[in-house]
Amino acid sequence: MKNYLFLGVFPNKKCLQKILLIMRLTTIFLILATFQIMAIGYGQSGMIRFTDEAQTLSAIIEAIESQSDYKIFYKTDQVDVTQVVNLESDETSVSSALTSALKGTELTYVIMDKLIVFAPADNLLQPTKVTGTIRDASTNEPLIGVNVVIEGSNAGVISDLNGQFAIEVRDEKSVLVFSYIGYITEKIPVAGQSAIQVSLAPDITSLEEVVVVGYGTQKKSDLTGAISSVKGKDLVQLPMQRVDQALQGRAAGVMVVNQAGAPGSNTTIRIRGMNSISGGNNALIVIDGIQGDNLNSLNPNDIESLEVLKDASATAIYGSKGANGVILITTKTGKAGKSVLEYSLNYGFQKIRRKLPVMNAVDYAMIANEIAALNNKNGTPEPYYTNEEIQGYRENGGTDWQDEIYRTAPVLNHQLSASGGSEKIRYLISGGYLNQQGILINTNYKRFSLRANVSANITKKISMGLNWAGSKESGNSTNYGNSGTFLSSPVNLAPRWSPTVPVYDAEGFYSDPRDGYGPYDTHNPVAGAREPEIILNTIRNTVNAFLEYKILEGLSLRITGGAITRNRNDFSYYNAKTYEGRPKGGLVGYGTIDEGLSTTYQNTNLLTYDRTFGANHHFTGILVAEQLVEKFNGSNLDATNFLSDKTGIYDLSGAALIHNYSTRDERVLNSYLSRINYSFASKYLITASIRADGSSVFGANNKWGYFPSGSVAWRVSEESFIKTMGLFSDLKLRASYGVTGNQGISPYGSFAAMTSGVNYPYNGYDATDVGYAIGRVGNPNLKWESTAQTDFGIDVGVFRGRLSATVDYYIKNTDNLLLQSDLPRYSGIKTKLANVGSTRNKGVEVSVSSDPFVGKFKWNSGFNISFNRNTVVDLGGKSELTYKTTQGGYGLNTAFMRLRVGEPWGQMYGWECLGTWKQSEAEEAALYGQLPGDQKWRDVPDAEGNIDHKINNSDIKVIGNAMPDFIFGWTNRFSWKSFDLTVLLQGSQGNDVFNMGRIRLESMGEGSSTRMLDHWTPTNQDTDVPAFIDYQTRTAAGLVSGRINMKEPGRNSRWVEDGSYVRVKNITLAYTIPETLISRIGITRLRVYFSGTNLLTFTKYSGYDPEVSSFNSSDAMMGIDYSNYPTARTVTFGLDLTL
Amino acid sequence: MNKNMNNTARYFLIVLLVTFAFSCNKLDEDPDTFAFATPGTFYSTQTQIEGGLAGSMNKIWDSWVGYGYDEAAFVNDDQLDGGNLVIGDNHADELWDAHYASLLNLNAILSAIKNGSLSWDPDMTPEMIDPLVAQAKFLRAFNYFYLVRMFGGVPLITEDTPDPTLNPMPRASVAEVYSLITEDLSFAENFLPEIWQGMPGRPTLYTAKALLAKVHLTMAGYPLNLGIPEYTMARDKAWEVISSGKFSLIQNCEDVFKSSNKYSSEMLFSFNSTYDDLATDPQIWTSEDYGDGGWGDKATDPYFEQNWPAQPRKDAYLLTDWNGMHYTEFYEQTPFFKKYFFYISMDDFNGANSPQNIPLLRYPDVLLIYAEAANQVNGSPTAEAESRLDEVIDRANGHVANVNHPLTSGAALSMQQFDDRVLQERSWELCGEFDRWFDIVRKRILDSPAVTYRQEDLINFSTDDYLFPIPEIDQTLNPLLEQNPGYTDFRPGTAK
Repeated sequence: MKNYLFLGVFPNKKCLQKILLIMRLTTIFLILATFQIMAIGYGQSGMIRFTDEAQTLSAIIEAIESQSDYKIFYKTDQVDVTQVVNLESDETSVSSALTSALKGTELTYVIMDKLIVFAPADNLLQPTKVTGTIRDASTNEPLIGVNVVIEGSNAGVISDLNGQFAIEVRDEKSVLVFSYIGYITEKIPVAGQSAIQVSLAPDITSLEEVVVVGYGTQKKSDLTGAISSVKGKDLVQLPMQRVDQALQGRAAGVMVVNQAGAPGSNTTIRIRGMNSISGGNNALIVIDGIQGDNLNSLNPNDIESLEVLKDASATAIYGSKGANGVILITTKTGKAGKSVLEYSLNYGFQKIRRKLPVMNAVDYAMIANEIAALNNKNGTPEPYYTNEEIQGYRENGGTDWQDEIYRTAPVLNHQLSASGGSEKIRYLISGGYLNQQGILINTNYKRFSLRANVSANITKKISMGLNWAGSKESGNSTNYGNSGTFLSSPVNLAPRWSPTVPVYDAEGFYSDPRDGYGPYDTHNPVAGAREPEIILNTIRNTVNAFLEYKILEGLSLRITGGAITRNRNDFSYYNAKTYEGRPKGGLVGYGTIDEGLSTTYQNTNLLTYDRTFGANHHFTGILVAEQLVEKFNGSNLDATNFLSDKTGIYDLSGAALIHNYSTRDERVLNSYLSRINYSFASKYLITASIRADGSSVFGANNKWGYFPSGSVAWRVSEESFIKTMGLFSDLKLRASYGVTGNQGISPYGSFAAMTSGVNYPYNGYDATDVGYAIGRVGNPNLKWESTAQTDFGIDVGVFRGRLSATVDYYIKNTDNLLLQSDLPRYSGIKTKLANVGSTRNKGVEVSVSSDPFVGKFKWNSGFNISFNRNTVVDLGGKSELTYKTTQGGYGLNTAFMRLRVGEPWGQMYGWECLGTWKQSEAEEAALYGQLPGDQKWRDVPDAEGNIDHKINNSDIKVIGNAMPDFIFGWTNRFSWKSFDLTVLLQGSQGNDVFNMGRIRLESMGEGSSTRMLDHWTPTNQDTDVPAFIDYQTRTAAGLVSGRINMKEPGRNSRWVEDGSYVRVKNITLAYTIPETLISRIGITRLRVYFSGTNLLTFTKYSGYDPEVSSFNSSDAMMGIDYSNYPTARTVTFGLDLTL
Repeated sequence: MNKNMNNTARYFLIVLLVTFAFSCNKLDEDPDTFAFATPGTFYSTQTQIEGGLAGSMNKIWDSWVGYGYDEAAFVNDDQLDGGNLVIGDNHADELWDAHYASLLNLNAILSAIKNGSLSWDPDMTPEMIDPLVAQAKFLRAFNYFYLVRMFGGVPLITEDTPDPTLNPMPRASVAEVYSLITEDLSFAENFLPEIWQGMPGRPTLYTAKALLAKVHLTMAGYPLNLGIPEYTMARDKAWEVISSGKFSLIQNCEDVFKSSNKYSSEMLFSFNSTYDDLATDPQIWTSEDYGDGGWGDKATDPYFEQNWPAQPRKDAYLLTDWNGMHYTEFYEQTPFFKKYFFYISMDDFNGANSPQNIPLLRYPDVLLIYAEAANQVNGSPTAEAESRLDEVIDRANGHVANVNHPLTSGAALSMQQFDDRVLQERSWELCGEFDRWFDIVRKRILDSPAVTYRQEDLINFSTDDYLFPIPEIDQTLNPLLEQNPGYTDFRPGTAK
């Protein structure tokens, strides 16, 4: 006799055979249990001879196996083979022998082919049928696909499209178990009932929820890594136009900063701080498995779920692209059953949050005259404005330039989707149209998006699917922030321009700045906003097809092929009325054309094995081979000196001067990866993964990188000693470690290369000569930046899941940073890209979710807070890197923002402003060659503690830091009857913003800020606005000179402000019209709402908005507010309709 | 059982095939087949080499007259406004970088040609190749001539030097650098053509001879101080240019810098300029009160103007008043060098478009080299030397006798007096062309009150000022590089 049910009995056979047999047996038992096949004795011809009449069951089994082809199986816990049975005859057929042997026992048997199975007879009692309907306890809607199983057996059914089920039970004592993802499992004893009505309550903790992870899904309870998950329906709860914006404040560890308020502008998303100095810190975006897609073009309504992978256990599976975290997005698919048609509309108005306080025309003219009076070197100077003029402003007012360029702008959003399907095929088709006008005149953004997701079961084993998404984005926006020159930037100039100047001059042309006081060298802000014609077009196509083949039970293969193509086609033309296109020698205009095509191809071959062995061993393994090819072709040009302003950039032949550029590159990534998840009794969980990435951009000596990770988790709540406490619905401890990479190397970056564009008219006369020069040296050792991350986490759920929390601590060490390392300059090349340098990020993130009220009045609340501390550890031998944070005109060319070894990111360096000298401090001021009323600076003591009474480079110190101490988000959802109210608060604490615009808004020769009125006078000494001191007074004071020697004095702490804020990001009040009112006209659901975005912001920051970042080419330059497009407040009305 | 086993094996085979037999993309990036060029394969046609020559010039023009502002290194001469003889440790770093960047590309050309990069092409005969080599060598000599005069002996990198980033090298001696310069220029004068038809911007054999004359004149003075033999060479090379009859002074000094005279009979070499490639931004070079507004960055020392007698040349070369405003009423209260901004249209000026060439070697320079060298060799002015000097002075006076600035002919001057007059003439005639500092250095006259006008500046004077400091970064990365005296030694382990 062989007991086949123990794995260990096949020591000499190959693993494969073993697995095969086990699978076969398991199948048989499944069939038995599920279909309740009754024991049927086939007429068996072979006679068996038994040696004794009274035998043990095991002896009978052995006799049958040895004398026939039959093999006998049983479950050892159900069948006691040592019991003594009676045989009626010592030579008989197999069937009659078994019948007589089992008579009087609780066992019966089944013969299938050459297999005989023993089982307890009470499994095989006459069934009775139980039916019923399963509904959602809160909405009373029928639930489709609920699992109904008889407790203690494998027998089960699922509920149908109407939420109905029918199951046969054999025992009145049976208990039915109703389970459904997202709902609390119910157990109901049959107790003789033939009809059972079931209500399932939504599971607040959602531990059974399935979470998308890289290359697969996992039950939330089985996760060992740090992953934040946001449901699509939560994202679109608030009327946001963009996914990245909707993500703000939603997930712990995720910092989202709107770089500017312009429609269609970018956001910075950082997951657990920033690792890289030059390689980029953008998270990898993966949409339906396709890597490298973009969030801007994605219609938020198409999202089923969004997951943020944070720790190495979750991200290492993305290897050399995973270091900055991964955002996984899964788009919706149709569900089998009734077709659903959904339409939603919202329409809103946006307004500037606040205007910068500037002087009116009268104050402005009087301040200008005060300044004019200072220049009394050669007698009494002429005032800039006559009394008559000032009187005129008093009567007629002046120009409010901010009113001239900002407006109330509408935003319109339509969404239509249809979804549905059958057992065989499921579909979702959706379309969206967004038209957002900007609050700055002549700015807008439009997005058309279309999606079709279709999947079909071709055979029982093979399914296929196709997701296609297309979008067209178009927009128009003039210069703002750090793009272009401030000489023509309306955002910069509007608050600075003189209110005494009208928009148009007497001839109807755009006015010029008035001489004397004010920004004399700049261009009319209204012209700068209205006249440029900028047309930005981007068309994206994402196609993604898959074929899935269930090879064997638990083993499946999924082959995915996808492509993203992005076509950009941008035009701009600045006519003769603009600064850029102003006439030169009878010719006018300036224009650009920028075209590019980028394509990404991805093929992923994914083999998944997912099985449970015995009651307690659950194993999942994946094996993946993947290839990714990215290509880019682009060309652009700029043209100036057009003969005709009418045709402009659309007739390039009319341009006298054109500069052309073009480029092409390609990168390839070949990868192999594997991951194993093992869980024992859902208590002890282990995950291990490894990815090997071969990348074309890595240097010849480092073509392949390897990225391992491992993590463990212990679900303490599954231990009996915790279970008996009855307090914890969930308690899990997690730990993970892993290595990820960042391949911020441009294609061919490891090679020495010639660069073009170094032209020079070497031959003479009028034509240039195309020049080539050696642009960089090669580095065959170039490789990825590597980030090793350790994470410890704890998940807690109490009060049946009504209160749950997740806390994570992490530390990330990034090494091999890609930095330009110095070469001796006599080599002719200044630097070489090399893997030097390190940074570190440490942090804690906490998220709490709770349901304080679950009755008729419901309150659901989610709070998250994140603390991140980053440090520059090594810069490859350099002590600091410095960043230029100006485009000229603001005196920040050198080293205002720095990355220094041992210091955090975002350090601002400059002089500390201590306000102004008081009259009582006249003697001390004189030591610096200053008078009372002059700006007072911190004179930093030297190493010996002495001060030198000079303000120069040695007094430069840290005057601010752009990194927040913490960021947080708090979502609240209240519902009562048909009303629901959602409130999202979000904020940042402890970050400084350098309000660069103030340098000139409050400057002596041109300032327009109302702060100018607060300038120092003997009666107003408590101010940081310096006094207006005239030439003669200053000369008469006979002060020492040369004491104040500040190069670029704009870098001082007077402009550093606390950028902390708390914001009611969104508040939405919705009313769902009762079904009874609308069902008769065929509407399933109708919800109307009123919503406000950015309605309230609590901050001390004096600029347009504290959430601002003007320089985004490096994270080392965050926290500067330089003429950025102001963020708007928005009120929106909307409706959601479901047919 | 066996049948099932076979099935299973088959499944696994399918899976393995599908999963791992996918068409693996090549990870190697092949520079030869894709859209970028490497130095290893470039320079294989005449046009590519000419592209490299253009690229090498591109590397330096911006530092000298563009937005680099690096000519500020010469602010201690007596022409540019400012300068107090306090010379910082990074005084001329950018010029060092720029000249070596240019040299990298020239050495790459010479190395490629030497290694036969052109030999695949049967049309490339030695007669075709030699002028290419000669141009590269001329430009290399040009670069080293600036480097050696600013920094003294410098790392001497040629086409034969192994990769200098991997093989640290010490500074060559001044003499070794000059030896390479004269060798390269000798090659250039032998293999450059007399004229580049239709390509007047390129160096000709006369450009090489003129530069060689200037090199020898410099070698005769400090720091090599080789005297008569080098003066002789300078005189002879200058004479070869003069006697060729190919060059002459433009009649009127107010026409010298007109755009139409970019490639006139008196221009031997310049930073060339077109609307596509502007050699300078004119606004840098003039007053806020000029046109729609200059930036006043590069002003002229008022002393320089005050010591310059009135003559047509002064009006042609210096902006001393504008719109009825004397320069003392300008915002900057200084005059400005007109050659950078005055001779272009006001539209071009206001649009920051200057198609103006920036002269580097002009015929009057050659005349004055001759005059100086001939006087030195002879021990007193020769008639030929006098008449060359007179030619320059006569044009400066508008060909009219000028009591404030008389001709030398007829006046019996000593060797020293004549030498002083030539030097003075060089300062006026070549003002703003970055020539004056090098005259000051080779004559060792920085501490003369005539050069350093202000007493308060003079106290900062040291003979160390005649050389600029070696850049910190080079010293840090290559401890073999010694610092010039008077500056911080940045080599690791050296006392600061």
